[in-house]
Amino acid sequence: MSPTLEQTYRESGGRVLSALAVAFRDLDLAEEAFADACARASELWPADPPDNPAAWLYAVARRRGLDLIRRRATAAAHRPDAPAPEPTPEDHVMSLDDPIPDERLRLIFVCCHPAVAPEARAALTLRTVCGLSTHEIAQAFLVPEPTMAQRPVRAKRKIAGAGIPFEVPGPDRWPERIDAVLSTLEVAYVQAHADAALAGPHARFAAEVLALTGLLSRLTPQDAEVLALAATVRLTEARRPARLDAEGAMTPLMDQDVRDWNDPLMREGETLLAASAALSRRHRRPPGPRALQAAIHAVHADRRRTGVVLWPAVLGLYDALLSRRDDPVIRVNRAVALAEVEGPAIALAAIDAAAAPDWLPWRAARADLLARLGRGVEAAVEYDAALALSPLPAETLFLKRRRAASLRA
Amino acid sequence: MQYALLIYEPQAESYAEGEDGQAWKDILNAHHAFGGELAQSGAMRGGAGLKSTDTATTVRVTGEGRTVHDGPFAETREQLGGFYLVEANDLDGAIAWARKLPVAGNGSIEIRPCVGMPDPA
Repeated sequence: MSPTLEQTYRESGGRVLSALAVAFRDLDLAEEAFADACARASELWPADPPDNPAAWLYAVARRRGLDLIRRRATAAAHRPDAPAPEPTPEDHVMSLDDPIPDERLRLIFVCCHPAVAPEARAALTLRTVCGLSTHEIAQAFLVPEPTMAQRPVRAKRKIAGAGIPFEVPGPDRWPERIDAVLSTLEVAYVQAHADAALAGPHARFAAEVLALTGLLSRLTPQDAEVLALAATVRLTEARRPARLDAEGAMTPLMDQDVRDWNDPLMREGETLLAASAALSRRHRRPPGPRALQAAIHAVHADRRRTGVVLWPAVLGLYDALLSRRDDPVIRVNRAVALAEVEGPAIALAAIDAAAAPDWLPWRAARADLLARLGRGVEAAVEYDAALALSPLPAETLFLKRRRAASLRA
Repeated sequence: MQYALLIYEPQAESYAEGEDGQAWKDILNAHHAFGGELAQSGAMRGGAGLKSTDTATTVRVTGEGRTVHDGPFAETREQLGGFYLVEANDLDGAIAWARKLPVAGNGSIEIRPCVGMPDPA
């Protein structure tokens, strides 16, 4: 791939593919046409780069898809294949405006239809709407790659065979769909959040999930969990400017200078969380897991006013969250809060009970607790194990520094 | 697109008094109303209620030939009790009908798209 094609694919691939899938109402056809357009681009772009590469891909893939439809229709009549259409100057004219309709939200709802197998919904969405590879999705869900590879294939067959509509459903059908949609967005955002410098392959998810959760919260202002996820993404994304130091190393939450946080975005998150909480109270429902998550980030956000973090509140929220949703991510984060309330020895026992050895945050948290307990050599071994998981440059620099410090102490 | 809505019901529990009982009369009335609504909307393409599985006969097809047996294809608690053929734009349209479909007691409605016939040229 030439640099522009690779960049276009990374930045706009999901959006182009979503628009094609909705235009053709056929995921396989959209993928085939998109792949053909990328192949054309790799031939033509080096000599003649387009002004708007994404619009070029969309226009060429759209024409290619229509051509494929025509061929399938005439295949029965044994007519010879029509020659593949050549890109014409009109492709450049298309770049004057932004001609790609944003159909990602609609496609998310198609992929998260309750008639699609639950374990396949997020996989198909992340692949189609966000452009994640099977390998990346398998990693995100801690599932073997061959298992994960089958899921989108089966799901696409179901969507086409059963006639699942390419539409955003009416509001009465939202409750049964929204949870799968939110889980998918969460998985996508976790990928971006783990990358402090936004240097990795999923950097664009940060902006996309920010936009999509904003759109969802405007579409369903009466769903407390939708508002809560939108709040969490804003409260965490607002910390982005403080997450790198001058040398490009990742800065952990407690070392961040609150003056670097994006205050308007944080306030937007706080407003959304307040609206979510008001909805739960009005319906006399306990806060959902996403509201608890958002509340944790809101406690951290309070540091910009009070200068301190109310760790017992954070710990209590993690306890509540754990009773709803028991997974290693929450256990590790709870252990970090536990260290602040009960001390590193008790937190280390909790970390060891939540063993997730292939997961970078678990390694990093365990290493930090060992260092705080003065067990420098063991901490260094744990930092080495974290570094062996090949983190991104900003995280690598941070871990190396901590490793050196733990040996000096 | 045509969809078959296949109704699975626990017959023995739902119609303990058989076809003379009140439960049977009630469900027939409910189907009458549902079928009327389907027909009025133009979505009705066919369907039938099935007599209980004690009347079922199964022809089994194997490499050795075809043999006739008493009873339904499979002995399960929920049995195929009837079906509708409906015309719908997409799966959501078929699901909307399935949500309204009368079922005696706890049962299931399986929605299956029908194999399409090529459009007349």
